[in-house]
Amino acid sequence: MPNFGIIGKSEAELSAAAAGVGVALRVDELQRIAHGLGRDPTTVELYAFDAQWSEHCSYKSSRHHLRKLPTQGPDVVIGPGQDAGVVRLGEWNGERYCIVIAHESHNHPSQVVPFEGAATGVGGIVRDVLCMGAEVVAIADALRFGNVTDVESHQRYVATGVVDGISSYGNAIGVPNIAGDAYFDDGFSDNCLVNVIALGIVKEHQIIESKAPPGSEGWDIVLVGKATDASGFGGAAFSSLALDAKDAQANKSAVQVPDPFLKNVIMRASYRVFEYLREREIFAGFKDLGAGGIMGCTAEICAAGGYGAIIDLDEVVTSQEGLPPAVIAIGETQERLLWILPPHATADVLQVYNREFSLPEVSKGACARVIGAVQANKRYIMRFGKERVMDVDIDFLTGAIKDELPLANEAQASVGREPVVQAVSHPNRASRDPLFKQYDAVVRGATVIARGHAAAGVMMIPNTGLAFALSTGGNPGHAWLGAEAAAELAVHEAVLKVMSVGARPVALTDCLNFGNPKKPAHYAQLVSAIDGLARAARELNLAFVSGNVSLYNEGASGKAVPASAIVSCIGTFADFSEVLNPALQSTRSFLFLLPGDSKLDIFDALTRARAKGAVLACGYVEPGPVSLSALRMAFAQDDRSQRIGIRMERSALADRPGLLVEVQQRDLGRELFGEDATLEARTDPSGIFVGADAAFDSVSIEELLAAWRAPLAKIFG
Amino acid sequence: MNAKVAVLVYPGTNSENETLRALLDAEVDAELVHWSNAATLANFDAYVLPGGFAYEDRIRAGAIAAHDRMTDAVIEGAQKGKMVLGICNGAQVLLEAGLVPGTGPVRRPTAAFTKNAPSGKFVCKHVYVKLNIAPQRCAITAGLPGEALIPAWAAHGEGRLAGSADHLDEISHGGHLAFVYAHADGSVDDAAVPNGSALGAAALTNSQGNVLAIMPHPERDAWTFNHPFSRDGRSGMTFFHSFAKGLKQQ
Repeated sequence: MPNFGIIGKSEAELSAAAAGVGVALRVDELQRIAHGLGRDPTTVELYAFDAQWSEHCSYKSSRHHLRKLPTQGPDVVIGPGQDAGVVRLGEWNGERYCIVIAHESHNHPSQVVPFEGAATGVGGIVRDVLCMGAEVVAIADALRFGNVTDVESHQRYVATGVVDGISSYGNAIGVPNIAGDAYFDDGFSDNCLVNVIALGIVKEHQIIESKAPPGSEGWDIVLVGKATDASGFGGAAFSSLALDAKDAQANKSAVQVPDPFLKNVIMRASYRVFEYLREREIFAGFKDLGAGGIMGCTAEICAAGGYGAIIDLDEVVTSQEGLPPAVIAIGETQERLLWILPPHATADVLQVYNREFSLPEVSKGACARVIGAVQANKRYIMRFGKERVMDVDIDFLTGAIKDELPLANEAQASVGREPVVQAVSHPNRASRDPLFKQYDAVVRGATVIARGHAAAGVMMIPNTGLAFALSTGGNPGHAWLGAEAAAELAVHEAVLKVMSVGARPVALTDCLNFGNPKKPAHYAQLVSAIDGLARAARELNLAFVSGNVSLYNEGASGKAVPASAIVSCIGTFADFSEVLNPALQSTRSFLFLLPGDSKLDIFDALTRARAKGAVLACGYVEPGPVSLSALRMAFAQDDRSQRIGIRMERSALADRPGLLVEVQQRDLGRELFGEDATLEARTDPSGIFVGADAAFDSVSIEELLAAWRAPLAKIFG
Repeated sequence: MNAKVAVLVYPGTNSENETLRALLDAEVDAELVHWSNAATLANFDAYVLPGGFAYEDRIRAGAIAAHDRMTDAVIEGAQKGKMVLGICNGAQVLLEAGLVPGTGPVRRPTAAFTKNAPSGKFVCKHVYVKLNIAPQRCAITAGLPGEALIPAWAAHGEGRLAGSADHLDEISHGGHLAFVYAHADGSVDDAAVPNGSALGAAALTNSQGNVLAIMPHPERDAWTFNHPFSRDGRSGMTFFHSFAKGLKQQ
């Protein structure tokens, strides 16, 4: 097999040759490969380095900045670095339960083929959680679209396709979609953002790590799932390339094809394998196949354990004849996972997948099969036919590479100011129900608060008293404040949302969605956003346990998306009866605003107030007119019940996120929450909204509710 | 000896665990039976088909599963008078198998649960269903009071009852329309129907009253934690207690 010639070539020749074979590696990186290998790479090696050294896999321009984030805390079991983070949920019957959480983006694929891109985003994040040995119990997503009001617009096609994709995948695998948000802004016209979050539950001593276990020399490497095909080849490199409209067609082959039906069966079969391994106290490694396909997964899982690997590509079942070895090795066919198993357990595990759950009958070519073995030496070797198509040092392949890129003054990257919109019918304030109702929020029968019914979703762990809340934050309307302040606010948003349902915040995740890091202004945004996240997290004493960086979110015009640090927050309850409702409860009550930057420990104050039975309801306050947040609490009432009226006491604009607390007696507000709490509104039985400003007409809540529900119903229907 | 109930798991089923949990909490002796163990189904006294996307909803929801070998056992059991409950995807399978409303030959359906209207999209919405037949008309509802109101979650893309005018007539006049969608106060109108279903149908039973196909999920609003703010004290568990009662009398 001919090698890719690097040695002896000029920079211009190399640059042209790399572009000619669809490789995104820079000239200096190519030269580093040849230097490291001491020869020219084979074709398979070239694409392997292309995948492993892409931003997507290597975080080469962000990793050193991400170190600034706090990642440790008393409840953190596993911080960032593995497929998912792990944080303690609580104890029940002497068992320690943990939450496994992962957060990623699937922005580029969703912009090119919205349905498949978004669906495979959900598929991938679910595998990240599954492979920690967890049962996947919830998903969430944060969506950012361009202007969708024009019927014929491409942005509307993207938005409806993404919602369809998430809905059809998540619903079919039987994991409820319990939290998230959606915003519309012209800044996302060329690049939508699709951030997906998955959450699982595992007992602490049953966590499975994504690495070859100690002493696993000679163990079997077992590939599970869909037959390998030509889809998703170049996906990792593809994500590192800026999108150009005319390349969209060519890029489609790089997008993976989702199969939620097969995934449903693989998940259930894997739960059975977990049981089998636990019963016999067998330690194994388990990892999801994502970027870089078989090569990326096997190299990372073995390198993490300090081992090498030998992979036999002829053992990989393919769904079409004649696939080149690079495609088999690196293509990102969906619905695949990989086990490192002691040989004595292999036959039993194969039996579970292939017989009990009959993968080959469920999907043609799907199966579990041994494709290689863990090696004591640190070589990573792939064989195909009689040839050795890859033979490299595993740490050289997977080790951290780093780009020190120049920064510019961040002010240059400011993206304009959103006017303050007062109407409930603005797409960014209107009810998201038309999108969210397409997601099954209640499968598993453990949902306490379904998506859209409060600012955070809440789920119970059946047969225990434990429950958790999940939220997302990162309103793109704050981007004009600068990336650092917007990122800081995103943390506070997510944390306050979790508090608004009565949960104690315990951990954070993040996904950093930015433009091209090679442009100093965009890179500066990324770096200052990390500073903002770090500061807010330290202030709140919370750790980031999982995260992801998505760069090159820009279109052909070179305009990047608004700086988007999207954060999720997990909260826990000692008991589900601590869950708080956003729906107004009383026709004679008082609404107090607790600003998010209050010196008060809001969670503690809320807990004390609740212990006295003083809190009737609690809503999340979005920055902007407080009256709109009060209205959302009125909208949260059940349909057909008597509508509670709201009379505003002031025309306040919240400049930070906060909470709006409904209390029965006026004196209680200050008494419980101190000087920072302000009386914003009182309720009455009128069913009418009355603004504090005389110029503001009073309107029936029913009419406002209709105006709030209508705009997105027309679009997402 | 206690009657034993099989909760069927087809490839693509996704609601088996909570359905089993609801049955166990209603003190029903139930267990999951997986598609690779179809041969054991004859040993059970009743069958519950849970929600999901059996065989990926290919052709139409339930269409392939209706021809699965697990469904052979369900049809045989139903014909012998065993109780059969289908929820959501399970309900779709029972209609496609022709067991409900059961006015035609087996596997020659006379009605179907098909694509929601007018949106054509999946809908996840909290609903109430109201008993529309005399409780004793169906073994599974015999333990409920007349006009019982049960909370549930609609979560389906294909839940709209469709059939010819003649067949729909047969359903409404033959006492097959077991539950209709209702509001929280028990009133019934088009606004209470989440999917455009003909007759406002949420559930149908067969002529013998031993088979019930219900689209929304009572098991997703069955526990106190599913309705932390509910003031009316209603629970989907009522439905499963009635199932348990029916089983004792079978």
